[in-house]
Amino acid sequence: MIFSWQMILMIVLSSIFLSWFLYRPIRVNLSDEDSNIRINRQRQNELDSDMSLGLIEESYYQEAEDEIIGTLASELKSIESNNLEIKPLVWSLIIALFIAILSLSLYSQLAPKAMSNSLDKSIEPLSLSESIETLKDNLIENPQDFSTWKMLGMAQVAMGNLDDSIDSFENAFEINPDDIDLLLQYSSAIAANQEGQFLGKPQDLIEKALAIDPQSIQVLYFAGIVSAHQADLDLAKEYWQKALYLMPDSHPDRSVIEEALETILNLQVK
Amino acid sequence: MLIEIGHFALVLALVFAILLIVIPALGLYQNRPVLAQLSKPLVWGQCFWITISFFVLMGAFLTNDFSVKYVAENSNTQLPILYKASAVWGAHEGSLLLWVFVLSLWSIAVSIFSKQIPSNLLNLILTVLGVVSFGFLLFLLYTSNPFERLMIPPLEGRELNPLLQDFGLAVHPPMLYMGYVGLSVPFAFVISALIRGKLDSSWLRWTRPWTLISWAFLTVGIILGSWWAYYELGWGGWWFWDPVENASFMPWLVATALIHSLSVSEKRGAFRQWTVLLAIGGFSLSLLGTFLVRSGVLTSVHAFATDPARGLFILIFLFIVIGGSLALYAWRYNLLQKNNPVSLFSRETGLLVNNILLVTAMLSVLLGTLYPLILDTLNLGKISVGVPYFNAVFIPIILPAILVMVIVPFMRWKKDNLKRIASHLRLYWLGILALIIVARIIITDNVYVLVAIGLFIWMLVHVMVLLISRIRSKSIFSLAFFGMLIAHLGIAVFVLGAAVTTQLGIEKDIKMSVGESQNIAGYDFVFNGVSRHEKNNYKGFKGDLTVLKNNKEVVRLYPEKRQYQTGMPMTEAAIDPSISRDLYVALGESLGGGAWSVRIYYKPLVRWIWLGGLMIALGALFAAIDRRYFLRIKS
Repeated sequence: MIFSWQMILMIVLSSIFLSWFLYRPIRVNLSDEDSNIRINRQRQNELDSDMSLGLIEESYYQEAEDEIIGTLASELKSIESNNLEIKPLVWSLIIALFIAILSLSLYSQLAPKAMSNSLDKSIEPLSLSESIETLKDNLIENPQDFSTWKMLGMAQVAMGNLDDSIDSFENAFEINPDDIDLLLQYSSAIAANQEGQFLGKPQDLIEKALAIDPQSIQVLYFAGIVSAHQADLDLAKEYWQKALYLMPDSHPDRSVIEEALETILNLQVK
Repeated sequence: MLIEIGHFALVLALVFAILLIVIPALGLYQNRPVLAQLSKPLVWGQCFWITISFFVLMGAFLTNDFSVKYVAENSNTQLPILYKASAVWGAHEGSLLLWVFVLSLWSIAVSIFSKQIPSNLLNLILTVLGVVSFGFLLFLLYTSNPFERLMIPPLEGRELNPLLQDFGLAVHPPMLYMGYVGLSVPFAFVISALIRGKLDSSWLRWTRPWTLISWAFLTVGIILGSWWAYYELGWGGWWFWDPVENASFMPWLVATALIHSLSVSEKRGAFRQWTVLLAIGGFSLSLLGTFLVRSGVLTSVHAFATDPARGLFILIFLFIVIGGSLALYAWRYNLLQKNNPVSLFSRETGLLVNNILLVTAMLSVLLGTLYPLILDTLNLGKISVGVPYFNAVFIPIILPAILVMVIVPFMRWKKDNLKRIASHLRLYWLGILALIIVARIIITDNVYVLVAIGLFIWMLVHVMVLLISRIRSKSIFSLAFFGMLIAHLGIAVFVLGAAVTTQLGIEKDIKMSVGESQNIAGYDFVFNGVSRHEKNNYKGFKGDLTVLKNNKEVVRLYPEKRQYQTGMPMTEAAIDPSISRDLYVALGESLGGGAWSVRIYYKPLVRWIWLGGLMIALGALFAAIDRRYFLRIKS
């Protein structure tokens, strides 16, 4: 956990700011009694104004005036009490300690642990196997961290550990089953593990992704692959054409889809 | 490191909220004014840290810091700078940060502009606001932290929802939140008065201006949302009875009832129980709205959170606030019972009837909003409650409320009689009837429009009569009175605009080829074709239509069909606005052979809807700055 000098400065500033007002307290505005007297006088003036505007009948004016006096009388029955003094130094210390302890402990709970760990180390980039270990370490502390599970799965795919990556993706899937990127990565890993076949679970995952975002270019591309594997070439063509329509001209994956589409068209011609 | 400073500032704001709850309360309980008076510096300090945090997040958006997960998910380098700044509140976490930021601004405002409020009451009010702030800061930091980081930052961020890439996002949410959150202020006044057991003149007097200001913001927020939806969604509607719209409309209705109820309680010392309940209800409904939007129970452009943990947190907070407030109300009920007597036919009773109608209207909206959700939750099937329900239930309740609004300002306090009112208004009613008959002959035979015209004329006459009688009496000019007139006239302007545009508007969905022309409401729309169009973060098609009237060009309109990077298609309508009508064109799909589907709308008096809303808000602001809230009388 990193506590920088800026944070310490923020705590000190907060403590000094509050202590200042303990030594030089803000003046009390006015008492309840003064306020109620003022307001009821205003109400009396407003009643006179209503009377002159014809907004209250003359015969009821006196009744309304009595009500104002009665209200004021009931509001002035206050209990006198003596104000107590405080010791500013003691309270300043209590407040400063409270701010320091509470803010630092709350922050230590909330701060990005993974980031601080990586900042502790040198700036040298980690190797893939080191990254996997770091990610696993993080998962011991945060077993419900979706992003870390997903990244671990991706790193394991890159290392060729397909079985492990499928387990990692499955853990990520249990935490957040609606992440499109995960659904695509997960289905690719399973497909790779069953000799490139997208049938079964990979197909279900792609269909789920398609239901969540039918406009996603990547999802449409994968949906096309699934359809092509099922020999439904018209549907595959439809998905890829839609993907091409949605893609900017400069998109790097455009050529890949165009090539796949061309293959399909050739197959259909034959 | 800057991001962590923003994060730590938010933590410090939470610590300040805890201190704000504990220290002034201790000072008030032990009668130590120095500690009680610490509430103001605590509020200032809290606001300072939240401001730092807010602007650090905004800085992260402006500098494309994709190491912040929230920034990476809602912004990218191609996003125009205005939308980068407004993207701060474009999704769940940031909008919640805006919530606490606005709450801290309200707290600051209360602490600064309340020199005439007794200190003990003010300190407790700030403490109650601290409790609300504590709840939301806790929610923000533990379930919706906008400063969450990514271990491996992406080179490019995702795209902000294209619907939100609009000037409307920059202004609608802050205004709406000012209103939503502003209702916490009357709530804090009421809760403080209940805690102290001093339900005296002070809290009643000072609750009203704060309620008026928050109500004005809420009105502007709702109006901006309606205007935004009108031009952005591409089908010319201005109100959809969407559950999220309803979530903002329900507190508005209750706040409307509250400002009227407060005027009776303040002036005549009556209906205090009712006023207290309305203040609690207004804020509870704004929390309910937050729950509906944030919990994921609703699906709409507004409902960007789908995390059940977040929903559960707000639900618990909602129960604590409502349950705690009502328990306090029950505890102090004896103190609220003292009310001055009211006769059956008086201005007080008229305002009470108006209140009951407003609350009934709110309950009808609440039922229509929650009923489908409850059925769905209990697995009793899915039903859709839409426009037909709200038109059939809401309008018959709100119309009498509007009629009462026209009559009550002529009634006397304490006691009045129907005969006096009837004789007083007889001539105006005859004149108004004559004008409605004239409107029937020369404008339209549509009953709804005639009713709206009648109401508008009636209100105009009523405003003129009240104004003339006030000038004749040579009494002191009152901004509250002037504000009331503007707000009431605003309601009539709104009703007329809504009725005319709904009943007399024309909509055509047609296929148009280049050179083809279509006549709508006397305007010829000539289709000149469609060209490709591209900008940094989208590409698409731009239509070109010339609008002619009597063969003279009125305007050229360029509706667009955009495709954003996410692939989401967007319709950008082209509008020729004017006070009497809008010409509205939206581009549909290409139909081949150079033909396109085009939607053309003729919208008479549609601008009056928002003009009316602005007048209502302006009226509230005038009433809030009335001289009696600043007058100092020597005690």
